[in-house]
Amino acid sequence: MSTAASATPRFRAPGAGAFIERNGLFVFCLVLTIGAALFAPGFRSPNNLQNVLTNAAPLGVVVLGQCLVILVRGFDLSVASVMATAAVIATSFDETTNWSVVSILAVSLLMALVVGSVNGYLVTRRKVSPFLATLAMMIVLQGVRFAWTKGAASGRVPELIRVVGSQAVYGIPINLLLLLVLALIVGITLQRTTFGRKVYMVGGNPRAAELIGINVERVTFSCYVLSSALAAVGGLVLVGYVGSVDNWVGRGYELNSIIATVMGGVSLAGGRGTVFGALVGAFVLTEIFNIALLLGFPVQFQWVVKGVVILLAVAVYLVGQRSR
Amino acid sequence: MTNDAESKPSRALALLRPLTRWLTPAVLIEIGVIALLFMIGFVISENFRTVDNVVNIFEQTTGLAFVALGQTVIILSGGIDLSLDANIALTSSLLSGVVNGRAELAAPMIAAVLTIGLTIGIVNGALILVLRVHPLIVTLAVAAIVQGITLLYTLMPIGGMPDGFDMLAFGRVFGIPIGAAFSVFCFAVVAFVLAYLRPGRQIFALGGEPAAARLVGVPVRRVILFVYGLSGLLASLTGIYLVSRLGVGNPTGDTNYNLASITPVVLGGTPLTGGRGGVLGTLLGVWLVQTLNNVLNFLDISTFYQWMIQGLIIIAAVSIFIDKRRRAA
Repeated sequence: MSTAASATPRFRAPGAGAFIERNGLFVFCLVLTIGAALFAPGFRSPNNLQNVLTNAAPLGVVVLGQCLVILVRGFDLSVASVMATAAVIATSFDETTNWSVVSILAVSLLMALVVGSVNGYLVTRRKVSPFLATLAMMIVLQGVRFAWTKGAASGRVPELIRVVGSQAVYGIPINLLLLLVLALIVGITLQRTTFGRKVYMVGGNPRAAELIGINVERVTFSCYVLSSALAAVGGLVLVGYVGSVDNWVGRGYELNSIIATVMGGVSLAGGRGTVFGALVGAFVLTEIFNIALLLGFPVQFQWVVKGVVILLAVAVYLVGQRSR
Repeated sequence: MTNDAESKPSRALALLRPLTRWLTPAVLIEIGVIALLFMIGFVISENFRTVDNVVNIFEQTTGLAFVALGQTVIILSGGIDLSLDANIALTSSLLSGVVNGRAELAAPMIAAVLTIGLTIGIVNGALILVLRVHPLIVTLAVAAIVQGITLLYTLMPIGGMPDGFDMLAFGRVFGIPIGAAFSVFCFAVVAFVLAYLRPGRQIFALGGEPAAARLVGVPVRRVILFVYGLSGLLASLTGIYLVSRLGVGNPTGDTNYNLASITPVVLGGTPLTGGRGGVLGTLLGVWLVQTLNNVLNFLDISTFYQWMIQGLIIIAAVSIFIDKRRRAA
């Protein structure tokens, strides 16, 4: 791709490309928000804004993990399956005390650890393409989940998970606060620790990373495990918002999280992009769904809007990258 | 004398060479697994042993065969197509919805639907070229748009086909299902193009080493438009087949061909990185998947466990033999 770009040089005002590359999605997000505030009825209401943020939080949590995996040149199609499995785990404990949440969290994270480890093992040691490894895990996990629930998941979502998933303090959704904390941790890890540097190096140039003594396999493996763990948390947050469980909680999040991350400027070629950008991508995607709904389009029309906006956002954003 | 003695086996080898090119390790393993599945089937059930059942398995491969063929060609060129389900949703619902039982509309609508399928594919290819974004993202975005249009047209399966339209799926000539035979014919045509004609070589070149392919003058645009167009066309064939089989189109897009189409490709030894592999492995992969489903049904294993088995088979296939070949390469 890059060869084609360099083969056809274009004239562009100096700096314009760099500006768009750095700020394309933010500009897009801003224009979208202002446009919506002016033209979409009810978008400005505090209730709706809070709604958008609550909706974006579970996706945001998943995007954090997806971002890590994409940074090391992979992607994770099993996140939605992990989310649904975590949701099923959340409703499989009978006690309604808040202490059951501890065991739920522990079991969910254990499940995520197993899934992430298998993904990581297949990708690093068996050299399976991430697409197939995580796709296969998605299907296997789906089978396990359906066999466990005998096809019909049921049960009560514990109160604490419901509160975290759907309530707000001082107008700020709790799940958004949770997302911000997690994002801060992941963001600081990526920007300020050796592990973070290693992730960027492995994604940018695995061979060079190997030569300077980075354990490429271990870094990649860790990213897959973290992605599954974050997806499990995302699943718990989502089931807390939805309030009831079925076998398809989080359906579509695998592709939406990839789309949001790529829209946020994280390159599928690996090694470029930030968690912050990916999160903006998640918010923009959620905002788009919200706006499509507010404008009174039939629900089906959301599909069309989603497709068009993805193409638009990617096109706008990548203009900058290509001009370099 | 010595010359003669040497040339004889080498001439025999030369005759065998095309054969050895087709019989890759993946293909041999697939044949072995299919044989094994048949043996298991023969042992476990009397009903499996009937000619009818074998023909049934063959007939049921039709839908998957078309999309898997398109997916193979795209993967060979280094891309991927995740707009198949949306394509099938639109083409199948339009076909049954517009025709609505009127026999005189059937033929023109089939032509129209094939054109629509082709167009969706070409739009995919064009957007990939214009935006220079990963095909995964582009085809998903196009899929979302096409799926939305389908659901705006109808939320429920509507319309129907005139009597006799189920011939395409269920009709038999000398006991051979028409649709399935046609899918094998399509595989043969594509195999010929890939092996002997220029576009075929260009697809392999582009998938194997894109930068090198550009430098030696492979018309990248034409190849990309060709492979995505072909895949779109083949997906609409699956749409037509499904309408013929079920009598009505399915607008929901939950046919699961996006991911199902990748399994036979991978089983057939075509890695997702492109440039290597072929369609024979895919055809056998389609048969393998269908035979497996059939055997599992006879074993009375629920869908849930079938999913697990399918996932484990993908893992086994990609982590055992493809891995070895990659190391060898």
